[in-house]
Amino acid sequence: MAATKEFGSSESTIIGPSILISGKLSGDEDLTVRGRVEGELSLTRTLIVEPSGIVKANVAVKNAIVSGVVVGNITATESVELTKEGRMVGDIRSPRVIIVDGASFRGRVDMGNAEPRPASERPATRPAYRPATASARPATVIARPAAVPVRAGKPAPPPPPGKGDKSDKGEAKPAPPPPPAPVLVGEGGKKKVLLKKKK
Amino acid sequence: MANTIIGSSIVIDGEISGDEDLVIQGTVKGKISLKESLFVEASGVVEADIEVQNVEIGGRVTGNIAATDKVELKADCRVVGDVRAPRILIADGASFKGNVDMDVKER
Repeated sequence: MAATKEFGSSESTIIGPSILISGKLSGDEDLTVRGRVEGELSLTRTLIVEPSGIVKANVAVKNAIVSGVVVGNITATESVELTKEGRMVGDIRSPRVIIVDGASFRGRVDMGNAEPRPASERPATRPAYRPATASARPATVIARPAAVPVRAGKPAPPPPPGKGDKSDKGEAKPAPPPPPAPVLVGEGGKKKVLLKKKK
Repeated sequence: MANTIIGSSIVIDGEISGDEDLVIQGTVKGKISLKESLFVEASGVVEADIEVQNVEIGGRVTGNIAATDKVELKADCRVVGDVRAPRILIADGASFKGNVDMDVKER
């Protein structure tokens, strides 16, 4: 047992195959589930659901690797991977979603493309994939500085509220800037389809 | 027997049950029932009622403990609650407040 202190510094928790946890689980380390977890699960690191593992919970993690069963929604800040043994029912919300051949999945996937928040990773990668949205993106960038002028108080009252809405939520778009408006509305409309549906 | 470890940064609020050994280095609130042994390590904090076969406590436990075999309070542990088991060991240096009952009818 004395050695477990340094073992603990490797930051990993294992829920063994015969263990059932029901309730709320949170932490800042990797978690491997071989048993059952029900309720709510939030981690700042990686969740690994092994083939024997069953998670019936709403999950918020950085990364999730599912080889077992997950029933519930997963929100990951980085990635979600369903391996060939993975079975999942629920919605996935994550910038990277990997579903391997053999995995079974029912639910929605939201990679959050429409959201302007992580601007850092956008410009390099996305335009190559989708030229259509690429054209929309620079437009929003342009629209933003245009709305910025602080003295806009007197000549242009509509832009500031529109800009405020956009910066705090990607979806609420009264969209006053004229040029990007149609595309953004399209994106907003697409997002609206992604309403949370409880199973 | 497989081993389950609740790491030091983990917080569980709810119920844990199972039939394998459980090592707690983190925080558990609620209820723990196991058919095997529970180890609460020095960094472990448990605010729960505990029903196990064996329990070894090196950390902090608040709650009632019922063991079918043995409860061991190790040096530097802090336990508040009632303890009920056929065998109860309290080491020198342990801090404990509560009732002790070794007269278990079940065994």
